[in-house]
Amino acid sequence: MSFCLSHGRHHHGARTAPQVDWNKCKDCHDFPCTSICPNRAPKQCVREYTSDELLQILRRDFSSWGSNGGVTFSGGDPITQHDFLIEVLKGCHKLGIHTAIETSAHFPREKFLDVMQYIDFAFIDVKNMDSEAHKAGTSVGNELILDNIRALKQSGWKGRLVLRQPTICGYNDSEENAKKLISFMKENDLFEINLLKFHRLGQTKWEQLGKTYDYATGGEMTDEAMTALQSLYLDAGIACYIGHHTSF
Amino acid sequence: MKLQEILKARGITDEQLKEVQEQDIPAAAESFQRIMDIYYLLKVTADMESAYWYNRVWWENDGDLLEVRRAKAVAASLAHSTPTILPYEKLVMNKTKHLRGAFPFPWVCASFFNSLAESLMEEAEAPAENEADSGSVVGAGGGNVTESYGEVISIAKKFGMRKEDIPVLVKVSKYWDGISVEDISTKYAKTLPGFEQFQNIMDSVLVMFDSFAIPQGREVMNYYMPLQYGFDGILELCDEKIAETMGETGGDGVLGMSRGYYYAAMKEIVKGLSQWCENYARKAEDLASREPDEAYKKNYLEIAQVMHNIAHKRPSTFREALQMTLCLHLGVVNEDPQSGQSIGRLGQVLQPFYEKDIADGTTTEEEVVELLELYRIKITCIECFASAGVSGGVLSGNTFNNLSLGGQNYDGLSAVTPLEYLIIEAGMRAQTPQPTLSILYDEKLPEDFLMKAAACTKLGMGYPAWMNNQVGMNFMLRQYDPEGMDLYDARAWCLGGCLESAPGCFLPLEYNGKVTMIPGGASPTCGTGIHFTGLPKVLELVLTNGVDKRTGKQVFPPHNKKLKIFDELLDQWKEYLDISNRIVNKVNNIQMDVWRKYNMPAVNSLLKPDCFKKGQHIGNCGARYNACINFESCGTITFINSLASLKKNVYDTKKYTLEEMTDAMLHNFGFRTAYDTGVFSPDYRESTDDAQKYAEIFADCINAPKYGNADPYADQLLRDYHMYLLHYLPTLESFFGKPEYLCQISVSTHGPQGFITLATADGRLAGTTYSDGSVSAAPGTDKNGVYALFESATVYDHSQNQNAQMNLKLHPSSVQGVQGTRKLLELVRTYMRKGGFHVQFNVVSSDILKEAQKTPDQYRDLMVRVAGFTQYWCEIGKPIQDEVIYRTEYEEV
Repeated sequence: MSFCLSHGRHHHGARTAPQVDWNKCKDCHDFPCTSICPNRAPKQCVREYTSDELLQILRRDFSSWGSNGGVTFSGGDPITQHDFLIEVLKGCHKLGIHTAIETSAHFPREKFLDVMQYIDFAFIDVKNMDSEAHKAGTSVGNELILDNIRALKQSGWKGRLVLRQPTICGYNDSEENAKKLISFMKENDLFEINLLKFHRLGQTKWEQLGKTYDYATGGEMTDEAMTALQSLYLDAGIACYIGHHTSF
Repeated sequence: MKLQEILKARGITDEQLKEVQEQDIPAAAESFQRIMDIYYLLKVTADMESAYWYNRVWWENDGDLLEVRRAKAVAASLAHSTPTILPYEKLVMNKTKHLRGAFPFPWVCASFFNSLAESLMEEAEAPAENEADSGSVVGAGGGNVTESYGEVISIAKKFGMRKEDIPVLVKVSKYWDGISVEDISTKYAKTLPGFEQFQNIMDSVLVMFDSFAIPQGREVMNYYMPLQYGFDGILELCDEKIAETMGETGGDGVLGMSRGYYYAAMKEIVKGLSQWCENYARKAEDLASREPDEAYKKNYLEIAQVMHNIAHKRPSTFREALQMTLCLHLGVVNEDPQSGQSIGRLGQVLQPFYEKDIADGTTTEEEVVELLELYRIKITCIECFASAGVSGGVLSGNTFNNLSLGGQNYDGLSAVTPLEYLIIEAGMRAQTPQPTLSILYDEKLPEDFLMKAAACTKLGMGYPAWMNNQVGMNFMLRQYDPEGMDLYDARAWCLGGCLESAPGCFLPLEYNGKVTMIPGGASPTCGTGIHFTGLPKVLELVLTNGVDKRTGKQVFPPHNKKLKIFDELLDQWKEYLDISNRIVNKVNNIQMDVWRKYNMPAVNSLLKPDCFKKGQHIGNCGARYNACINFESCGTITFINSLASLKKNVYDTKKYTLEEMTDAMLHNFGFRTAYDTGVFSPDYRESTDDAQKYAEIFADCINAPKYGNADPYADQLLRDYHMYLLHYLPTLESFFGKPEYLCQISVSTHGPQGFITLATADGRLAGTTYSDGSVSAAPGTDKNGVYALFESATVYDHSQNQNAQMNLKLHPSSVQGVQGTRKLLELVRTYMRKGGFHVQFNVVSSDILKEAQKTPDQYRDLMVRVAGFTQYWCEIGKPIQDEVIYRTEYEEV
């Protein structure tokens, strides 16, 4: 640990970045390097909570959200912490707190439905209707995701589901992909989708973790192309939102 | 549109898609823009005209009864002030003949000028400064005259005085050598056994300034008398009262006889005010007679008519009423050095006049907005002539003329008036530092009004700030109950000064065929007493056994205790605080007592209820409420965080001894001090060779529990501190014989008092600013978001004190659009629901502020919220600029 203590400390006049050995860091639990730097140059972005601790904070802040407030569980993917999530969700429902989730839905059916029964509002990404392309972009096919969505709708779930698609030029912006998605939505009585214009807000996080960002170039969508996609959905009777212009 | 139809079919109402567009803000009136073009070029100017006439008439009346003599002198200074009217002005009158002018009051404080006399006459080097002055830095930009140039001499690093006025300043000041309020009170203070203790405290700047520096202000104007009766009417009333009371005691053997003299004095002051207005009328007539341009000529003639009317009669239009309130306001600020003489709930006071004019069709909303815009310039031009310690350290160049809106009316309903919407509108179009606006937030206020106010806050000028009406009312009922405060009067409270809750009352204005209960102030200053005690400095002195290590002087008697347990440390802090309070209170009581005997308010004693009813001036407790003198703290959160760190690192984990902690602080945790580097920014750190030695202890101090994170460890200390002061402070008695209470606004003293304080146990470095306000987190230490901060701030009942101060900095992107306005309002509402008393916002990005620090010339009109007031960025000192930049910036709300 002396490595961290002696190299983590920054001050003006010595602006050289410390060299980080991620192999050592991944096994570290107390991160003394984050507490020694007064300017918080190395900063611990993750913190462990018990479900009780988290519920305590949610309960405290509940009074501050106004009538439209609630909790959104996001990630990574929150369902990776399935048991913890269920505990917190149960607590939320007991307190009357509205719950929302952003998930890939790429989980075993049972686990997925288990979580969803406590969810009032869900965002699920459908990144590509072509399973091969989906696999190329995300390393897994889309079958499990689409099946889970079907199962969710058939389960009698009463929540609101909005599909999401980060729209990337040359990857999933084709009319064909949109048409497939539209018919999937029709089959399953889904009527809302949110198209998100590709952005690179995640880039710095990759770099902070010492990793290479694969999408540093390309993929940009024009506003015109986004609007054209939107009208395909609207013509099919599907409420299609672009970016933050949504109804929620 | 299709989208809505799809959603509607599914039973979803969409609000956001409706895209409520934010209204564009119309440009300010041409008259406003023309005058502001001049304003931006003006330097702050001091001249001797008013002071000369005061001095002359005072001595001409040597031997007369003091209250009459005083009123005659004040009246003369007003009646002989040369009227200046600029083209485009519709509202007229200035403090002096200069638009942005002020003048010294050597009868209050002469030593400053007398000590300067020689050097001024010789134009020699700058004179020695007192300790508080040396810690204060005045902003170098804008209208401040920080250095002499050409024919202009710089005084107090702020005011420019022309060379020809200097001999007058020196001569007038000489008269008061040894007999000014300052000199006489010092003479008697010196007879106190603890006077040396007092001097040690003041020299260390542990306590920041003397009460005579600004003996009036931090209170609310009351415009009722002249609005109801007019000056001629008041003169008649005075005669009636003289016939009734002169020569009789009314059963009071001590003060009863002075009633007759009071009314005699009031006649003098009313004649002075009336003459002052009449002079403006004549000046306007003169200008009109020589003006070839028809439009200008018409404007001058209108001014002449307004000024002639209000010189005698009660106002009969909105414009006359507004002009009358301005006249009274300037009259009061011209009778004493003062700050925080607040306008109060003007939009409720003037609503009857506005309503009638609109109904009669004699004016339009746009004309009223223009007048209100021009009013903003007039109030922004109010300068206070005081030493650098006051004008730089305390005021940062602003004089805190606060205008409150909202709250409850006499009947306990929403007090919001149509005129108040226009006051906000004028504040949005015409962006000036003053008057700052304060919303008295109450659940009863209409949503559209609150939204308009939030939309104004968003613009980034720092106003309106938000105060909790219910908390304010509760404080009134708590503090003024022994003097008969009831629910009706409690509803009339508002802000006096930047954040001093001041008592008020409603009075029946007969106008337009009906009676309207209009609110107004009903107490003297709610902002003198023991002022600005640096709480962290007291703690430092506990650790150093009473020695101020910065100067090497023994400030308090050594306690020689080991301080083995935390409570012992805390008890010693209380003991030192008490030593300071006892003696400082006595000295300030003497100062204020001498002030009220020789220098009693004249204009203000006419206006404040119930002076006229009782026949007693403010000095004789003529006002309805007098339990208004207080103890003012500075650096609360720096103090609490320091306690938390000591408690954790020394007493709980026992990782360090108290000596080790003290040693680390004395060595500034191994960093070069700001005194060395000249950089006072709280985030600037430059290591010395010792850095490694203190690295770990510094990290532990930085990582100790901090207030603002909903962490009970630190928050409980804040609560305990408040419960202690709630019961302790009333044991101090003011010169009015009333119990004192806690006022907590740092104004901008967290700069100079931070300057004199060494490193603190929370990891703050020597000389850097304290945390601002009283419940703002120390910059960068609130890491759990704004709701956690709110939770921490409300661990005690805010109605225990006169105020609590929360400054928040929001990035502009976080409150964009109408949805952003709503979010901002929700944020305010959240805090108010939890019982928070006050929150104010800087909606500006730190990047812009940093840019403005580098190139101030390009940001002449940039304004920021400091601590209860808004000021031009370029006119505030650099330490405060650094502190504002460093405040935690919330990017999402």
